[in-house]
Amino acid sequence: MINWQSLSSRAAVNKRDILALAALFVIIFLLPLLFAQLPLNVSHFPEALNLHLRQPIDQFQDWVVGHRATSPAFVYFFDPVSDAIDWGIRRAEDFLLGTPWPVILLAAFLLGQWAGGLRVALLSVAGLVFMGGVGLWTESLQTLALMLVAVLISLAIGIPLGILAARYDRLDSLLRPVLDAMQTMPAFVYLIPVLLFFGIARVPSVVATVIYALPPAIRLTNLGIRQVPGATVEAARSFGSTPRQTLVKVQLPLARPTIMAGVNQTIMMALGIVVIAALIGAGGLGREVLISLQRLRVGQGLMAGLAIVFMAIILDRISQGFARQELASTNRGAGRFVLLPQSWAKFGPARALEGLLQAGLRQAAAFARLLADGLASVAGAGLRLFGLNDAAAALASQFRRHSFFIGAVFLLAVALAVTAVFPAGDFPQAWQFDLTRPVDNAVSWMRDNLYQIGDLPLGTGPLSDFLVIYGLNPLRNFLQNWLPWPLVILGVTLLVYLAAGGRLAIFSAAGLFVIGLLGMWDMAMDTLSQVIVAVAVTALIALPLGVLSARSDAVELTLRPVLDLLQTIPPFVYLVPVIMLFNIGRVPGIIASVLYALPPGIRLTNLGIRQVSHSAVEASQAFGATGRQTLFKVQLPLALPSIMMGVNQIVMMVLAMVIISGLVGGGGLGLEAVTGLAKNQTGRGIEAGLAIVILAMIMDRATQAWVKRRQKYLK
Amino acid sequence: MTQPKSDAQILCKNVWKVFGPRPEQVRQLDAGLTKDEILAQTGHVVAVKDVSFEVQKGEIFVVMGLSGSGKSTLVRCISRLIEPTDGHVWVDGDDILAMSRKQLRALRRHKMSMVFQHFGLFPHRKIIDNVAYGLEVQGIKKAERHARAREVLELVGLAGWENHYPGELSGGMQQRVGIARALAVDPEIMLFDEPFSALDPLIRREMQDELLALQKMMHKTIIFITHDFLEAVKLGDRIAIMKDGQVVQIGTPAQVVMNPATDYVREFTKDVPRSRVITAQNVMQPPPVVASPTDAAEAVAQKLARFECVAACVQDEQGHFLGLLPREHLADPPQYNGDDLQSLLVDDCPTITPDTLLVELIRLTMNSDAPLPVINKQNRLAGVVDRSMVMAALATPAEAADSEEKPTLQ
Ligand SMILES: Nc1ncnc2c1ncn2[C@@H]1O[C@H](COP(=O)(O)OP(=O)(O)O)[C@@H](O)[C@H]1O
Ligand SMILES: [Mg+2]
Repeated sequence: MINWQSLSSRAAVNKRDILALAALFVIIFLLPLLFAQLPLNVSHFPEALNLHLRQPIDQFQDWVVGHRATSPAFVYFFDPVSDAIDWGIRRAEDFLLGTPWPVILLAAFLLGQWAGGLRVALLSVAGLVFMGGVGLWTESLQTLALMLVAVLISLAIGIPLGILAARYDRLDSLLRPVLDAMQTMPAFVYLIPVLLFFGIARVPSVVATVIYALPPAIRLTNLGIRQVPGATVEAARSFGSTPRQTLVKVQLPLARPTIMAGVNQTIMMALGIVVIAALIGAGGLGREVLISLQRLRVGQGLMAGLAIVFMAIILDRISQGFARQELASTNRGAGRFVLLPQSWAKFGPARALEGLLQAGLRQAAAFARLLADGLASVAGAGLRLFGLNDAAAALASQFRRHSFFIGAVFLLAVALAVTAVFPAGDFPQAWQFDLTRPVDNAVSWMRDNLYQIGDLPLGTGPLSDFLVIYGLNPLRNFLQNWLPWPLVILGVTLLVYLAAGGRLAIFSAAGLFVIGLLGMWDMAMDTLSQVIVAVAVTALIALPLGVLSARSDAVELTLRPVLDLLQTIPPFVYLVPVIMLFNIGRVPGIIASVLYALPPGIRLTNLGIRQVSHSAVEASQAFGATGRQTLFKVQLPLALPSIMMGVNQIVMMVLAMVIISGLVGGGGLGLEAVTGLAKNQTGRGIEAGLAIVILAMIMDRATQAWVKRRQKYLK
Repeated sequence: MTQPKSDAQILCKNVWKVFGPRPEQVRQLDAGLTKDEILAQTGHVVAVKDVSFEVQKGEIFVVMGLSGSGKSTLVRCISRLIEPTDGHVWVDGDDILAMSRKQLRALRRHKMSMVFQHFGLFPHRKIIDNVAYGLEVQGIKKAERHARAREVLELVGLAGWENHYPGELSGGMQQRVGIARALAVDPEIMLFDEPFSALDPLIRREMQDELLALQKMMHKTIIFITHDFLEAVKLGDRIAIMKDGQVVQIGTPAQVVMNPATDYVREFTKDVPRSRVITAQNVMQPPPVVASPTDAAEAVAQKLARFECVAACVQDEQGHFLGLLPREHLADPPQYNGDDLQSLLVDDCPTITPDTLLVELIRLTMNSDAPLPVINKQNRLAGVVDRSMVMAALATPAEAADSEEKPTLQ
């Protein structure tokens, strides 16, 4: 039977949509003409409405600077916290830099072997050797130290908070908007306040990193615990477990894989902002990248960037290795290749090499067991003297179980002893290789030859010109000069209303107006124009690629490693090669944004289509639909929520990157924030930061609400 | 509140559970409203509505009802895994609802344990640590609790599986682990929430038989939830039937099958092989003619003729059954000595006990017109069963009314 009511309400929605679209058309094209006839200038937000918020903020900054030594907030909170962090990071740095480099290499190898097997172990060593080889040993370890401290703090705060949030719904609903805000906020926004409150040496960069990296630790701990089936928890309760027993014996162990995934994400996020953190005092690799970017020393920047990428890959594989270990420790069967791809098993030499490696590993394991047994028997004899026979037996089995650990400690101790007798000194000069020169040469070659290929309208120069002349400039001009500001607000409000409904529309209108009040209108329009162009370009590439990879396993398999790599590279590092090719300005920011936002766009489109239930596709085929018909009539409509989720991600990542590219001449709000930071104009930076937050919130909430509406339709 | 006088181990009185933001409010509503009406009017779900029952020590009490009828909620109200909205629950005279958290934990640790529909095992723990969990939370030492867990695993036929993980076991074996885990703490009371529903029919039957065998040894007090009426009939000493949160009937399987309280219950009883549920005590009637050995033969013969009976039951002054006195023996007495009927008795006539099943009665009455005396444990005559009574019991009241569906009897 036909459901007339739902049909007619559908029709009503359509009518409303059409009306709104018509209104949008009028606003964009007809009203500006009308406004142009008016005697007053309405294209720019009136200066008279500027709140001049920066004045009180700057006064506050002055007050802070003047009272840092006396105000109780600083004396009893910010300063002690800063001191503690400073102490921690100094200890971590001293420790890492004080350890002889061969011992560090050995430790990395053992850690990799323990977490993920020989492949990860060798990868870790190779990464470290690269860092040393390009002369960035010290910088790398400094970054690692900062990472360690920031990640430890994040986990020390995040995991307990996550546990509490899983326990108390009230806290969960309180935390949720805070975490949302933290995750939509580009990191630039809180650099300035952090700098103001934690102004000692490298402390602000640690704090900023913690703020950035904290949300996944909280979220995934919370999620992991909440995902434990209610029936399992109930079973625990039914046997009279106390809440603590339930948590420790049931919930936490079952949530472990998810929590470990949270740890992995926390580490990756922390690495993601090392370069930005360098803006407020972090040394190490981030600072290298930043400086070479600012001085346009591409070769040097690229080496530091690659070192960061290596560190990201190593930390990613190691932490993922631990996460997987929790799942299936028994999975490493005998005879499985430890280094080479399993598919090479058909080649004799590969088998021979693997045989050797596995024999070596077995020998090492046997040695470790021997060591553990030896230690256990010595310690056990001691215990038996006191009649503690049970304890001695338990000790032996414990030692045996942890024989890898015991063997590793032994090896490290030996290495330390050897290096104490024969000091290893700095990372050997002889192993170093200079790649900056060839890279710089390559870059200048590319500038000369790729910027403009022959007389053809090809190359990065023409592409860049095209983007500027036909995309960025007209759009910026349109938003800044052609459209009167009230119409921009009205238009955005209408769009948001269409996508997400009345509440958000009002919020958006108010938000945009506040941006005007902050005096950030023109900058915001500049940023907006860049975001729109970058989103359009990304969507144009990502959606077709996503569809293609959903329809062809070969395409998906080819794309996967590329996307994996793109997603491990910290956002700022993209800028390095892009700058090489596109010079500074708005375009490199756009290109970097596209590269940054492509992976989730492609992945979510692919996933959405692949997740469409097989039976729906089968039904369509049974009616004789062609592949194309099935795609357009069944798969794409059903995949729409997921694709729109991809669009949401694209928008947010593009925005973050466009803001960052303020550092390389991107203009707009990003530049404003950077300038505020660089010139120590806190008020200006905070005004820009607030405008960024508002813009981010509008974009995020509107696209999310759009996805949710669509999902409801499909249910 | 102190428990009303009763020797029951578990006593539930007027228990309510309402899900929703303001359950007390709903409780005050007119009790005449149905569950659906309350949901429509207030948005509250009445999961358990004014339920009262008692469970004796050593009894298997089955709660049966369709999905959503509130069985799981009810059984959780007994151990307060779900907090009842109203009512009282006593276990061994202790008011469960007045217990502190600590007392409640002690109750769950020592007195009561539960077996779950989807097993509720801990996937990250070895079988032995699953079984030992209850002991572990009590704080019992590892060696001791593992020893106990091994014992129980042996009991449920899972010796040798100690060091596997639940995921490596079949469904039936997993539920054995579930049962072992509940048994390990040696509780007096066991709560089973549809433990066999997720199992294949064959495995399910096997598990039912094993549960009955275990119960013969253990004599636990069991509340057993099921949505399968046949399972209820097979396992239950008594059955409570739930519909929309209310108990609509409580009785022994035979009582329920013979006298379904509502059409709802009758629907379930239709599928039941009545001959395997109904017992002699459900169909027997008082013997029409009872004689004592000292009675005059003529008087007995006259009585038999008046009631059109083929035999009289003879008992002594203490009421002990002596034997049957067939009418033809009186008419043509073989060795009647004139003052005692004793010599005329058939004292090796077939007799039955009150719980002889109807299938057996069919076989016994098939070829004989003589009534079968029902002799109870004290060797007293409880009643008689004859072919017409057996027939009447096989024809259900519903089927009698609805003659189209009347099954043919061989
Ligand atoms: N936590 C809950 N919140 C709201 N309603 C519930 C909750 N648990 C159960 N119910 C409702 O209570 C009724 C009884 O559920 P339940 O006791 O699980 O039934 P059964 O075990 O007989 O299938 C159902 O209508 C169910 O939807
Ligand atoms: Mg249930």
